[in-house]
Order: sequence, then structure tokens, then C-alpha cells
Amino acid sequence: MFAKEMVKQSLPLIVFCGLGAVVAGSTLGVMIDLLRKIPGLIVVVPAIIALRGNISTAFGSRLGSAYHLGIIGKDNLWNEELKQNILGSFILSLFVSIIIGLLAYLTSFIFGVYPDAVKLISIVILAGIISAVILNLMTIAIIYLVFKRGYDPDNITGPALATFGDIVTMLSLFGSAFLIEVLL
Amino acid sequence: MIYSWKKIVKHGLPLLTVTILIEIFAGQILQGKQESLLLFPVFLISIPVINSISGNIGSVLGARLASGLHVGYISLSLKDKEMHDNLLISILIGLITYLILAIIIYFLALFGNLIEDIALIEFVAIIVLTGFLLICVVSFISVLTAFISFKRGLDPDDMVAPVVTTVGDVMGIVFLFTIIGLVGVGI
Repeated sequence: MFAKEMVKQSLPLIVFCGLGAVVAGSTLGVMIDLLRKIPGLIVVVPAIIALRGNISTAFGSRLGSAYHLGIIGKDNLWNEELKQNILGSFILSLFVSIIIGLLAYLTSFIFGVYPDAVKLISIVILAGIISAVILNLMTIAIIYLVFKRGYDPDNITGPALATFGDIVTMLSLFGSAFLIEVLL
Repeated sequence: MIYSWKKIVKHGLPLLTVTILIEIFAGQILQGKQESLLLFPVFLISIPVINSISGNIGSVLGARLASGLHVGYISLSLKDKEMHDNLLISILIGLITYLILAIIIYFLALFGNLIEDIALIEFVAIIVLTGFLLICVVSFISVLTAFISFKRGLDPDDMVAPVVTTVGDVMGIVFLFTIIGLVGVGI
């Protein structure tokens, strides 16, 4: 049993990811006025964080496997396989963002809250697109750095994306809610 | 070519849709408690943290169990000693992490003027107790998911993380409000 070893290896990383979540949580704390003004906005928070987490960690781990299979590498990064991966995760984000917006709007009725459908759904779609673009670029940057240094992407992309994913998603949601609230 | 965007969407969509349905439910609980959360923003800030920690610990545990099952040093038995050790260490790591982050959140909120009459010890107790309950449940679910998927010939590596993070997100919010209610800080 390597109890000490395990604590030593995973505790710092889990605390570090937790610090990322503190930044995400603080963004939520700053959004108090927007949450008050836009009914239903708080409903999408766990869903959109989960969406980003699921899509970007899957994207990262596919790139890791692609690296091990020799499909992408240091000198062969920007190819058709990578483009298909980017397109796939982007379309998935868009689809699921629409589903999140619709579900948040519809289920709110059951609980007697009546959100503005157009406002709520456009906020979620905009936040989904912005965070997808930023996190896809980030993933490629991370993969590029990992290749350059000769590390195994499987060990790096998961925790890195988990940490930055929450922050980027919450900031995107905050930005989109702010923008849509001003525009509509 | 191995990857196509259509395949990625087709494979990802079903599991994501189920995940989203459950997460929307978590979001509705938040909406129901919105008024109190806006009055006590320190708990609003804590929610992503509570969920992130349990998701990460559950996923790490799941990945370790998956490797153990694949290689063969963990057997498919609820009495497996190696599995019990992994479980206990996850709970220990969870307790330490929740303690550290609860203190950080408290002082962050204090400097941001977001604290309304709640003492450090009270806040830390609420977060650590919520975290302890959550880690116990999440670790148990992680073991069950890893074992069941392995038994059915599915790769636990694909299953544990999404299941654990989704269930953890709902249970985290439920436990937090339950503990707050029991301690009675007026939220």
C-alpha cells in the first residue's frame, strides 16, 4: 500500500483544481445582480459547467490517444484528424447548449418561474460558443506544449482542462449574460 | 481517417443529454434557494468548489480502480482490501482538501465583503461536513460504477468520470442545503 505516495501525488493537484473552482465560484459571486435580473440564469450554471467539463476532457483524451496511435505528433499537429475533432466538439457544444437553454426554460415553468425564453436561450448558446472556442484553442496550445516537451498528454490535459474549464465557462457565462442583458 | 465530427457528435450526444437533464435538476434546486444564496453569497461561491473537489476525487479513484481491475491487482469483490485502502485514502484526501479550500473561500469572501454574520468555524464546519458526506457517497458510487461496468465488459475509464461528476453535482447541492438547515445559520 502506497498511501503516502498517493496523498503526495494527488492532493496538490486536487487542491489546485479546487483553487480554479474558487475563481469560478467568485465569478458567480460577482454575477449576483445579473442572477437577480435574469430568472432562470442560475438553473443553467451546473449544466453548462458539466457540458464544458465533459466535452473538453473527452476532446483532450482523444487527442492523447491520437498521439499514442501516432496520428498526430509534434511535426504533424494541424491535420485533418485534429480538424474533425475540433469540429465535432464544437458542434456538440452548440447542440447541447441549445438543449440546456430549452430545458432550463421549460422546467422553470414547473417551479413557477417564468424566464424570458429568447434571453435565456441566447445567453446559453453564446456562452457555449465562446467557451468552446476558447477551450478548444487552449487544448491545442496545451497539446502543442506537451508534445514539444515530450510529455505524455494523458497526464496533463485532464487536470489542466478541469481547472481552466470551470473558470473559462463561468467567465463566458458572465460575459454573455452581461452582453445579452445590455442588448435585449 | 479515424475521427469524423459526425461520429464524435453521435457518440457524445446520448450520455451528454442524460447528464444535462440531471444537471438541470441540480440547477432548479439552486433556483429554489436563489434568494438565500444571494443573501449569503459565500455559499454561492462554494458550490462550484464543492462539486469540483468531489468530481476530481471520484474520477481519480475511478481511474485507479479501472487500472487495478484491468491489470488484475484489484478483484471484483466488495471485500477487496486494495479497494478499501483506495476508498479510505480518497476520503482522507477529500477531508484535507475541503478544509483547506473552506478556509481560503472564507477569507476571500471576508476581503470581498461578502460575509454576513457567519463565523469561520461555523462556515468551515458546514463545508467540511458537506464534503465528507459527499466524498463518502461519490467514492461508493465510483466503486460501484467501476465494478459494474468492468463486469459487463465496458471500460470503467469511460464510465466513472461522467457518472461520478453528475451524481456528485446534485448530491453536493442537496447535502449543502441539508447541513445548512441542520446547523441553522438562517439561510
